[in-house]
Amino acid sequence: MEIEVTDSGADAAMSEGQSRLGRRAAMGVGLGGAAISLLPLLSGRAAASASAPVDSSAGGSGSGGNGDSGPTDTAPGDSGPTTTVLVTTTTVAPQRPTPEDITLLSFAQQVEATAVALYNEALKVVGWTDEQAVVITFIRDAHLAYAQSLSGLLGRDAPNSISQEVFDANQAAFSGSVDEVLASAAALESTAVATHGDVIAKLVGTDGGSLIASIQINEARYCTVLADIAGETDPTVLLVDEEAASLVGEG
Amino acid sequence: MTNELDLHTDSSTHGIDRRGLFRLGGLTAATLAIAACSDNTEAGVVGRVGEGGTTPVLEDPIVNDGVLLRTMAGVSTSIVNAYQHILDGGFLAVASETLPDLGDQTELVTLLQAHHTAAAETFNALAVEAGAEAWTCGNTRLDSATIEPIFERVENGAPATDNAKAIGPSDDPTRDYINLVYCLESMSASSCQAMVPVLSEPAQRFTVMQIGVRSARQASLVSLRIFPGGYVAGVGASTADADAATTTTAAAEGAPPAATAIPLPVAVPARYGLLSPTTFIGGAGDENGVRLKLNFETPSLNSLAYPFYSCD
Repeated sequence: MEIEVTDSGADAAMSEGQSRLGRRAAMGVGLGGAAISLLPLLSGRAAASASAPVDSSAGGSGSGGNGDSGPTDTAPGDSGPTTTVLVTTTTVAPQRPTPEDITLLSFAQQVEATAVALYNEALKVVGWTDEQAVVITFIRDAHLAYAQSLSGLLGRDAPNSISQEVFDANQAAFSGSVDEVLASAAALESTAVATHGDVIAKLVGTDGGSLIASIQINEARYCTVLADIAGETDPTVLLVDEEAASLVGEG
Repeated sequence: MTNELDLHTDSSTHGIDRRGLFRLGGLTAATLAIAACSDNTEAGVVGRVGEGGTTPVLEDPIVNDGVLLRTMAGVSTSIVNAYQHILDGGFLAVASETLPDLGDQTELVTLLQAHHTAAAETFNALAVEAGAEAWTCGNTRLDSATIEPIFERVENGAPATDNAKAIGPSDDPTRDYINLVYCLESMSASSCQAMVPVLSEPAQRFTVMQIGVRSARQASLVSLRIFPGGYVAGVGASTADADAATTTTAAAEGAPPAATAIPLPVAVPARYGLLSPTTFIGGAGDENGVRLKLNFETPSLNSLAYPFYSCD
């Protein structure tokens, strides 16, 4: 006679529980084993993807200054992407003005503010033709825009004042006859070009350098325009073969 | 009591029965399948099928001070060569129908050319100082994309194609070439200005801007020769004159459309130095009156003189 043995009550529950626990354990062991077996592959991939940016920055800091991804150099003898060692050959200049830059840019702003004050004196002179008045007003407004731009760059460090010394030295010339004012204005623009050139030669930050360069280029054009308005025809004068002296170091 | 009872009891206790063994076997097979499907190549290397050639490794587009400076040398040399072509052709000595007051600008352009010859030498000296090789020929991109097509269109026109009639040589080469001189001077000034934020050494920026300042003045002077009294953009008499002095003529009934107007340059085109392209419009108009229109732009990644380029 075969006896069917069945558990009941607490014993049966315990028996069933042990049986379920065994299956779960087996599945857990299987899944755990699978996860462990895949771990080296997955970690290898993760390490590979993480190593790319590390390689690209291994050579040092940054780019040529314009934020693109071009300025990189590769060591000679590279044979493929996995062995590429990226090296940047150009040191990146900071964008924002350094403390030394702020001093230079403050001086440049004073020069621009002084130019505005001098052109205001010039516009009081009687005898401008309509065309001349338009040009002088345009140049005055441009200098005002330059001073305001520099003020924006400098923030609370901006002096927002004129150079009294430069103003006093030029006020009389900007209050004379039209011809005298035109000659003085051309000389002032040449002085500003030379001054901004010296500032660019010392500026480290690129924001300040970019702004001063865009100002300097136009002030160079004003020299030619003012000389032409004054009736000058000699190319050496119109193209300013002899640039005026810089104010850097004097003010 | 039988032995069956004992076996059943053991199976329940250890948790491994036939089903468990099947599950383990299936799980192991699935794990192996997943592992087989995963990437078994080296990190970063695309797997290969067959025996094709290896992926070519491109030269590295290095952009540093030396590359930028020798690119500028190439731009200056291109300008020198362009001016030489214009001077050799004697185009500037011919009176312009469009600009009757222009006069002979040969002497002025010769003077401007000397500046760019000196500029190219200066740029190359700076490039060598920065560790690069000198670039003694013109900028290949500038030459092929803008200067040469302008020469071709102005002097020879364009041949007929399947869907366009032939275009004749320019109706006024003198006008086109003095406008080209203005465009090149403006581009030179803009290019020097564009170098300031990308060059790393303040001393280099200073020297480059000295050249840019001169180019800007030259652009202003040329514009005043083309358009006397055109001092500033958008104000006063200059605007009125600019509107009147274009090459547009009213077309008679039944006549082909008037050619595209060529804008006159002004000495000070904006309140700040511009980095935007300078547009050249010239040559004879096509059957619809549309002239050749090209932009002169500051050097960019597609026009730099990379180390793997040479003038040979």
